[in-house]
Amino acid sequence: MKTVSLSAPTRSSTVKFRMPTRDNLVPIRVDVEVDGQRYRDAFTWNPRDPDSEIISFAKRTAKDLKLPASFVPQMLQSIQGQLAEFRSYEGQEMQIKEKIMPLKIDLRVNNTLVRDQFLWDIGNLDSDPEEFARTLCDDLNITDPEVGPAIAVSIREQLYEIASQSVSAMREAKVSKKRRAPEFASNSKAMNNAVDMFKYFGSKGSVIRKRKEWYLYAPVVDVVPNEEVVVVDTTEGA
Amino acid sequence: MATPPAATATNSAPTPPKPPYKAPPFSQPPSTAGAGKTETPAASTSTAAAAVVAAVAATGAAAEEPSYIITVPSYSAWFSYDSVSDTERRLMPEFFQGEAAAASGSRGPEAYKYYRDTLVKRFRVRPERRLTLTEARRGLIGDIGSVRRVFDFLEEWGLINYGVSLPGVKQGRDKREEPVAPQSSLPAGVSAPKKLCIGCRTVCGQAYFTCEKADITICCRCYVRANYRPGLTPADFKKVETSEDAKSDWTDKETLHLLEAVMQYGEDWKKISEHVGSRSEKDCIARLLRLPFGEQFMGPKEDKMQFETDDDITDESRAEISKRVRLTPLADASNPIMAQVAFLSAIVGSDVATAAAQAAISAQSQVDETNDSPADSSIGSPKEEESCYTNGFSANDLLKEASANARVQLEKERKDIEQSLSDIVDVQMKEIQAKICRFEQKELLMEKERQQLHYLQKLLFADQLAVVQHQCRPHAVTAENEADENPKPVLTS
Repeated sequence: MKTVSLSAPTRSSTVKFRMPTRDNLVPIRVDVEVDGQRYRDAFTWNPRDPDSEIISFAKRTAKDLKLPASFVPQMLQSIQGQLAEFRSYEGQEMQIKEKIMPLKIDLRVNNTLVRDQFLWDIGNLDSDPEEFARTLCDDLNITDPEVGPAIAVSIREQLYEIASQSVSAMREAKVSKKRRAPEFASNSKAMNNAVDMFKYFGSKGSVIRKRKEWYLYAPVVDVVPNEEVVVVDTTEGA
Repeated sequence: MATPPAATATNSAPTPPKPPYKAPPFSQPPSTAGAGKTETPAASTSTAAAAVVAAVAATGAAAEEPSYIITVPSYSAWFSYDSVSDTERRLMPEFFQGEAAAASGSRGPEAYKYYRDTLVKRFRVRPERRLTLTEARRGLIGDIGSVRRVFDFLEEWGLINYGVSLPGVKQGRDKREEPVAPQSSLPAGVSAPKKLCIGCRTVCGQAYFTCEKADITICCRCYVRANYRPGLTPADFKKVETSEDAKSDWTDKETLHLLEAVMQYGEDWKKISEHVGSRSEKDCIARLLRLPFGEQFMGPKEDKMQFETDDDITDESRAEISKRVRLTPLADASNPIMAQVAFLSAIVGSDVATAAAQAAISAQSQVDETNDSPADSSIGSPKEEESCYTNGFSANDLLKEASANARVQLEKERKDIEQSLSDIVDVQMKEIQAKICRFEQKELLMEKERQQLHYLQKLLFADQLAVVQHQCRPHAVTAENEADENPKPVLTS
């Protein structure tokens, strides 16, 4: 896990919108259904790749998975839409406070279930969800190689959510300057989750987590037998 | 395809959400996750399960002997799991150069190594099966673009999917990157260095922009989109055109068409490009300029053309091109000898041809030939056609001389051989004579000995006779002689 930075809590800087990670990669989720066939996927995309890459990627994926060509335009639309949305945020500013947010992982990939919760410093622009995912899979001996990317995408999605909310909060703040906006930013819903570090690192707290909270933060990996996988698929897929 | 349901960050309660299905809610501590590993290779037809099986098999296969052979093409012999070779550094610069790669992580050398090793291992578990990008990238943690580039690179160099039948041409494949890898590693260095755009990491096509300040190359698209570092302004970038010839070589036919068109239409580039066919006016002009005699046609117009020629069209290829071109004006000469000579000269090269011409000139001055008028006219002329002409003629004389010389020498050799043969014979005869002499001497000696023996024999015989005579005389006479003679009785009656 990334180390928690302990500088003064009042410091905050406005930065151009970007993913608060070392690599500015966008999480993309695709869910396309054509003629009863469904394609669901999640991956990480580099927004600096040219648009021609999207087309070739869509075609290649459809070909590899033996999907009919009718999938391609919908996939394209979905990916391009998400990228456009990301780019629409790009020119704007967001406020990076050093907030430590809890992130959650709760996903099932093929036969493996992963549930986890951890604290993430969203002010750390050098953080790396990919490395986290790799380490998690290695440490928990997860054999299915598809779990790693799913975890990375999940983390990125959460971080993206936080960043985009921060941008919209800044916008609101600018619009409503009369009302002394900066306090509002800290009162927004998303920021309620932020852990108040004073509680931990003030005079009365300690860095070590309390034992009763251990279960909350321990990662859980279940390997589910195939019959249950089928059951889950049918309940989810509808 | 199964997708993980992502938990949203708007969850206020910091407790994990209830699972929507009736799975046993016990939590498996990590130590028993290993036991779970062995249960997963249960029968399942999805490719993901196959990947799990593959992973298990990989760990198992490491312990046992490999039961199949993985072939790697010879041009990829540099590959090894332990290190990153220079070929890779050169051909995948985005991972090894630039400020993005300096920080490790999704961009750096470790990432490249991780992608590469995982992909190769994954393929090698089932080498008869084609590893698709989708399957591979699902198991790789990283952004799609980088994974795809490494995958394409490995597939091109035969480290992945080598020998596996291709199910048809990939439509969406980035064909621009394809010819880069094997070509740029050839020592001939014929291809121009493909410029890689820093912004989008694709090969720059016709023109690109360079910035001296930061030594950055970006393609047109990135320039337009201002996809470069914030500290730079559009004014800092200069446009650089890449030469067209590097990408599409002119064939002989096209060059021929071009020359015909030039002769026919003069400088009407529209018509010329029509005549040539698939070449634009700019291409035709550029091509003509590159021909060695093209400059004669172009003359002062050259200044107006601002093509930056890449130095990487080496002299070798240029000479080749010019050789081919030189053939065409002479090829349609009616004189077949000229055509032959032109052909010879083209093959041999200008330096050799001039050297041969000079040698021929000197040879001809020694040998008296009747047909020396065209040869004389070419003395001192550096023009290639005429020097080839003399080259052709003097070749005949040289040949004749050479054959005469050869014959003379043959005769000499033969005589020498005969001489030496006769010498050998003489020597042998002498030997034999000497032997005969010796034998004769020996015979003489033998004769002498024989005569001596004869003489001795006779003496003996005479002695014997005397003895017998003495015995046969009356005893009175013998009694007296016996006392003188041998007392032994010698004879028998």
